[in-house]
Amino acid sequence: MKNAIIIRYCEIHLKGKNRGFFEKMLKENIKNSLKEFKFTFTTMHSRYLIEDYDPLDYELITAKLHKIAGVHTYSNALVVENEFEKIVEASSILLKDKVGTFKVNTNRADKTFTPNSMETSMLLGGRMLELYGKNISVDVKNPDFTLYVDIREDGKTFVYTDVVNCLSGMPVGSAGKGLLLISGGIDSPVAGYMMCKRGMKLNCLHFHSFPYTGEAAKEKVIELTKKVGEYNGGINLYVVSFTHIQEAIHEHCPEEFMITIMRRFMMRIAERLAIQQGDQAIITGESLGQVASQTIESITSSNSVVTMPMLRPLIAFDKLDIIDIAKKIDTYETSILPYEDCCTVFLPKYPAIKPNLERVKRAESKLDVEGLIEEAFKKVEKYTF
Amino acid sequence: MLYFDNAATTIPSQTALEKADIFNSEKFFNPSALYLGGLNCSKEIKLAKENILRNLRATNHEVIFTSCGSESDNMAIFCAVKRGTFLTTKGEHSAVYKSFLELKNRGLSVEFIDLNADGTVNEEKLYDYVKNNKVDFVSIVHVNNETGGINDVNKIAKTLKSINKSIVFHADGVQAYGKIPFTLSQDIDLYSISAHKINALKGVGALIKRKNLNISPLIFGGGQENGLRSGTENVFGIKVFDFAGQEKYQNLNENYKKAQLHKSLFVNGLNKDLFVFISNDNCSPYILTISAKGLRGEVVMHALENQNVIVGNGSACSSKNRFSRVIENCGYNKDILDGVIRISFSTETTIAECKQAVEIINNTVQKLKGILK
Repeated sequence: MKNAIIIRYCEIHLKGKNRGFFEKMLKENIKNSLKEFKFTFTTMHSRYLIEDYDPLDYELITAKLHKIAGVHTYSNALVVENEFEKIVEASSILLKDKVGTFKVNTNRADKTFTPNSMETSMLLGGRMLELYGKNISVDVKNPDFTLYVDIREDGKTFVYTDVVNCLSGMPVGSAGKGLLLISGGIDSPVAGYMMCKRGMKLNCLHFHSFPYTGEAAKEKVIELTKKVGEYNGGINLYVVSFTHIQEAIHEHCPEEFMITIMRRFMMRIAERLAIQQGDQAIITGESLGQVASQTIESITSSNSVVTMPMLRPLIAFDKLDIIDIAKKIDTYETSILPYEDCCTVFLPKYPAIKPNLERVKRAESKLDVEGLIEEAFKKVEKYTF
Repeated sequence: MLYFDNAATTIPSQTALEKADIFNSEKFFNPSALYLGGLNCSKEIKLAKENILRNLRATNHEVIFTSCGSESDNMAIFCAVKRGTFLTTKGEHSAVYKSFLELKNRGLSVEFIDLNADGTVNEEKLYDYVKNNKVDFVSIVHVNNETGGINDVNKIAKTLKSINKSIVFHADGVQAYGKIPFTLSQDIDLYSISAHKINALKGVGALIKRKNLNISPLIFGGGQENGLRSGTENVFGIKVFDFAGQEKYQNLNENYKKAQLHKSLFVNGLNKDLFVFISNDNCSPYILTISAKGLRGEVVMHALENQNVIVGNGSACSSKNRFSRVIENCGYNKDILDGVIRISFSTETTIAECKQAVEIINNTVQKLKGILK
């Protein structure tokens, strides 16, 4: 008797002729994510099997599975030969500590196996009641748990009870590449996570403005990037120094447009970096109306300097819903660490909430936009996690 | 690097480290062991305790080694008095302040007394409260870690005990030990100190306790430190603390005068148009807290860091809790609270460093004010 982890996907089932592409990508992502462990990996029809791992690694392995987009569920199964008594033995191990109602669900792909699936369920259920009748009883309509018996054609039977839900979504890399603007706040890591979940492979870009923001603020962004990277199968972070741009805007432009013009610079830099590395979209954590820079007028203003698609997965999310996801992906506690970030230092008392695009352009014309961007690009730091 | 954040921590004394090094090699034994090696280690710890008491001129106290100043404060607050009313000031280090909040959470009665502008406790209000209420425990910081304000804890303890002799009095002496000439009087029941503030290592502190005061342990186990603080003693750390302490107390008065000189170089050299001085002449000469009014302390700190000048700032900034609790309680407005930076000295500081730092601080803040208008 051996242990095996059965991994299943869901949305890939809907794919037609290109299904193989997605399956292969998911397989590679799983293997890549588990590369620090020893195990054997096999593909079954629409499922993957992890066997021969060190049982002490089980928790670590399944924790990783929870972070792989495209994995729908997994089960911890016992593997036995296609033999009724062996199945009984495995079932008795799984049901030893169970309490409540149950049913048996048998799937008999190996048609040479006798008895048939209905009979197997009945007989097996009977044997379990004999053993543990004190704690368990049968309810086929609404059971507390199900004992699954999967009798395969290759001579192996999988017996398991729990089906654990994972991330679902699509395999990372199957939906192109994008550049995530990551700030250190609550929203941007969540936005990144959501794009990973839909299969987009991410790079990250952060704007740093030393001395107005410190190393601690950068470390915080690095922490957050690593967390997003866990869903992304590793990640690159680009840090661009924004100090001179901020100082120039502060010196030459009306105070109310500080943030608006800053964001326009950010988008320009993001697009240029994205093109350089083959990213196909820019992703932000903007949520409509959350702050002055996220009104539709402000978004129009920052959007108008780029032609690349801007994706805003959180645009219609309430803050509390975003916080819930941030807690789930364990970025919340890091996000709320109190350091200055580049948006808070030069914060005007009354930022323009509905900036007029023409006035913004006029204000910006006093700046050497290209020169400032060129200068920022000279000092890009790259981190790979 | 010009390091002026010595109230946060100090560079370990190389001499003390070298002298104590033998406890990392030959004399590595567990001081609880009964064979000679262990016994010798235990003797060394005893010696370290005697030296601390001698440094403080204490005649009727004993020393309990702990892992840090915060542990000493916690032990004093949670282990000496179990019920009743607990009194402290609004100018305490978080180790005391948060412990008092915890006492409150546990349903005990706690009270925080107002401060003077330099961070010392308003003694009149303190005595008034003790006259009008039955108080069981009082904790007052000896040297305020944010302003350098010195509370005359001997006098305060004596006065409090003349009002109510059953009060147990604790003073947090973390910023005072090894710096301020002081005699630990018998009116002080408990006194916390920390090693890394006087050029020893992080991870060692001590609670000094009046001999006849009964307290219970915070940490239970093997019964070290007379059963009051279990856990194998950090012999190396304790010896570094011992040697560093001896270095400090050999020249305590000279050091004090030197620190006064260093502080005065800043007080006289810093541009009065740019800064508000929160510390005054009565404060510890080792701490000078100022505010670059109108700027944010964290920004000033990073800008100075960029010029290789390291200073401290009151507390980390956040939109909700941006200001230092202690300085706020000294009664300053937001504009001043925002720009608080703390310059703190050690015996290692030199006049040349001070002069250089003053110039850089003046220039940097002037420049930042220009940029941030």
